[in-house]
Amino acid sequence: MNDFLEFKNVSKRFGTVQAVDNVSFSVKRGEFFSLLGPSGCGKTTLLRLMAGFEQPDNGSILLDGQDITQIPPNQRAVNTVFQNYALFPHLTVRENIAFGLRVARRPRQEIDAAVTEMLKLIQMEDKADQRPNQISGGQKQRVAIVRALINRPRVLLLDEPLAALDLKLRQRMLLELDLIHDQVGITFLYVTHDQGEAMSLSDRIAVMQGGKIEQIGIPAEVYEAPKTSFVASFIGDTNFVDGTVTALPMPNYCRVRVEGLGEILCYNDKQKAVGDRVNLSLRPEKFHVTLEQPQEDARLNVLRGKVENIIYAGNHTRFWVHIGERRIATYHQHRRYHLDEKPIRWEDEVWVWWDADSGYMLDDYAPLLEERGITPPPETIHSANGKEQRI
Amino acid sequence: MKRSRIPLLTTLALLLFFYVPIIVLVIDSFNGSRFAGTWGGFSVKWYAKLLQEREIWQAVRNSMVVAVAATFCSTVIGTCAAFALHSFDTRLQRVHNMLIYTPLVVPEILMGISLLLLFIGLKIPLGLFTVFLAHVTFCISYVAMVVLARLQDFDFTLVEAAQDLGASNWICLRRIVLPLLAPGILAGALLAFTLSLDDFVITFFVAGPGATTLPVLVYSMIKHGATPVINALSTLLLAVTFAVVVIAQRLAQEKHT
Amino acid sequence: MSRRWREISVSLPSLLWLTLLFLIPTVLVLAMAFKPSDGYGGMGPGWTLETIRSLRNPSYPAIIGRTLGLSLLTTLLCVVLAVPMGYYMARTQRIWRQTLVLLTVVPFWICFVVRVFAWKHLLHPDGFIRHGLLALGLIAPDTMLLYTTGTVMLVLVYSHLPFAILPIFAAAEKFDFQLMEAAMDLGATRWRAFTHVFLPGIARGIGTAVLVVLIPALGSYVIPDMVGGTESEMIGNKIAQRTFGDRNLPHACALAALLTVAVLGPLMVMVFGKGRSGTAEKSVGGVV
Repeated sequence: MNDFLEFKNVSKRFGTVQAVDNVSFSVKRGEFFSLLGPSGCGKTTLLRLMAGFEQPDNGSILLDGQDITQIPPNQRAVNTVFQNYALFPHLTVRENIAFGLRVARRPRQEIDAAVTEMLKLIQMEDKADQRPNQISGGQKQRVAIVRALINRPRVLLLDEPLAALDLKLRQRMLLELDLIHDQVGITFLYVTHDQGEAMSLSDRIAVMQGGKIEQIGIPAEVYEAPKTSFVASFIGDTNFVDGTVTALPMPNYCRVRVEGLGEILCYNDKQKAVGDRVNLSLRPEKFHVTLEQPQEDARLNVLRGKVENIIYAGNHTRFWVHIGERRIATYHQHRRYHLDEKPIRWEDEVWVWWDADSGYMLDDYAPLLEERGITPPPETIHSANGKEQRI
Repeated sequence: MKRSRIPLLTTLALLLFFYVPIIVLVIDSFNGSRFAGTWGGFSVKWYAKLLQEREIWQAVRNSMVVAVAATFCSTVIGTCAAFALHSFDTRLQRVHNMLIYTPLVVPEILMGISLLLLFIGLKIPLGLFTVFLAHVTFCISYVAMVVLARLQDFDFTLVEAAQDLGASNWICLRRIVLPLLAPGILAGALLAFTLSLDDFVITFFVAGPGATTLPVLVYSMIKHGATPVINALSTLLLAVTFAVVVIAQRLAQEKHT
Repeated sequence: MSRRWREISVSLPSLLWLTLLFLIPTVLVLAMAFKPSDGYGGMGPGWTLETIRSLRNPSYPAIIGRTLGLSLLTTLLCVVLAVPMGYYMARTQRIWRQTLVLLTVVPFWICFVVRVFAWKHLLHPDGFIRHGLLALGLIAPDTMLLYTTGTVMLVLVYSHLPFAILPIFAAAEKFDFQLMEAAMDLGATRWRAFTHVFLPGIARGIGTAVLVVLIPALGSYVIPDMVGGTESEMIGNKIAQRTFGDRNLPHACALAALLTVAVLGPLMVMVFGKGRSGTAEKSVGGVV
């Protein structure tokens, strides 16, 4: 597939803040592409550059091969769904939806037909003559989406469209958005800070931080194979461990000695050599925590530890297990009724084991100021040596 | 927990303080007796007398002409000023801001005497035109202030949304910005209108003979010996004020729904 | 460059108007204070400090002192009365709150001359209040309720009180009353919570109230003119007298300059103090 929408070395600075820092990426035709990152990472600025509300300091934006960098927003074949809907309060639902066609001076019959079709799409024919303040949040959201779709934009930009909705409604709108995307077949550029939304909707995700793109990939890729510690910790929870490669026991695997934890086996897709320093991300759900010893397996890492803290969360239980001098966070899914299982208690000696393939080697390791990964259990924030708890 | 009753009592006392003089004035306008201390029976004779005074109708006409003209002019200029102050952040706007705000804190009497000097200096004959110029001068700031406050609450993503949907700047202004700001601009105009109708001090300085407005007339009537006719005139002015306040309140509520 | 052009075109009407009809005449007045008077209502040639010096004339310090004293006392009274009312308005139910705001604003909308006249009427020698007080034997037959400094003070408070209530109420409305509960929970008495938590919490509102009462009070003219006597004249009266009565414009200008200096003090506090200018007027104008 060709590159439909291209950002080439785009930079934007606001005062002293480098909001977008030399960003290049491309989106395919018809793709659902998400920009994911914490607030202030530059994702909204990218969207506003795309819409034409901002001009880049450097670089260019290409749509279907045409440079649109200098085109003003009202002449771009791109429409936006705004975070707080931005529905015109003095116009009815029908007039809001018709606005785009009206300013384009289309014939009256065409406008009426298109608006009726859009109202049908969102099942709001009966609300057509109400004002935005008379309809619910979810309905506003739908109106905002079809208002942006009515001009048949080549790209639909969505700026945190679900942020203002409550959890249940958000989940329903997720399905609806997916459906609309399938029906209209337009390229969607979706901005969000919510990894769940990005994961469940997107064909591909770009994870951003500090005005730069950290990683682009399909959802499974950014979750299972995060390139950086930022991506690993921003998407889902994780344990970071750092160590030194001590041996290469079989092809594509290496042994890593982790200070205070022991030797572990790890998949070595980065082709590291003996003596190299490496950083690993170990997702909590990849661990097994049992009272019984697991069966021997060459590719299994098996460690012994003591349960330090337990949080029961309904569909899963979190265990913080002290192993050597480190602490590992694990999730245990309850596939059966929780009380049937022989319960693991505080201070129990347990086996912690995981498949060598489940750990993932990071390209870099940059500790975050505010760890979004594992929250340490409250009473053990200050460890004996006074160091911050990162295993 | 028991609450202190001082705040409630103060509030009630102050409301009484606010309204007693006004209510007494209204009641006395229907007093048949010439003397305020004695009740001479219900009568509308002072109103009848009021209607016969040609001077008063002339003053009403003057007041209305000046107020309408000054409101129109100051609303246009003040709204432009508010847009300028809101949209641009330059050194010019800082000067502009100062120029808009200082008239609000300068004593009226100073503005009156300075305008009088200017008109004398420029040999502009004192009359309704000078009153109009003076009223526009102090109304601009109030209009600009009210419109600016509304502009600060205005959600400018609506403008972006309109542009995004293909609207040009002109369509944005006509279809989105002006309809949504209309209540604010109207509120500013209403404030200008009442300020112009009410103003005494500045008008007193710059109004020549034949340009007497209502407040100036009321003042000179009081100076020449208060007759109960003034009570009637004041009551009528009160009624007009209340009507305007009610309309203003309606407008303000419409904004919220 | 088109943006610059747009900016100038929307700013120009107000800039031009206010420069011509406000800035230049005001500067002119201040300049005229340094011109000699020619005795026919005009001014003589050259520049002089004589007009300014003549302000030392024994009658002036008394008037200046009275203007300052009355204005400050008015401000103090207004704030002291407005704080409990603002407190009550902020704590009462929403529907009452709106009604109270309206009831406070309405007198402020009524024609100023009429409001002052209402008091003149109420306190008239033949009015029912004086008659009632006489009948009760509370005042001597020769006591006048009108044309005294006390009356001026009363009417000054009456006409400036809404200006004080609105900003104080606006600040109190934003105040988090749980802070007072927290203070009392920690052992403070109600009075202490009021003085040490509530009052500092609405300090900005009080500051605004002080300015919006003090500045116009200093320039009062109509009130002392209508309900005051010769013993309660303020600077404003003298300015009008010099302009219309004695036709001594330089003298009137010198007095106006003096008034400007008096107003400039609190104004400086407003501009260079912590508060941004304009918040005061916004809270008054925003009620409309």
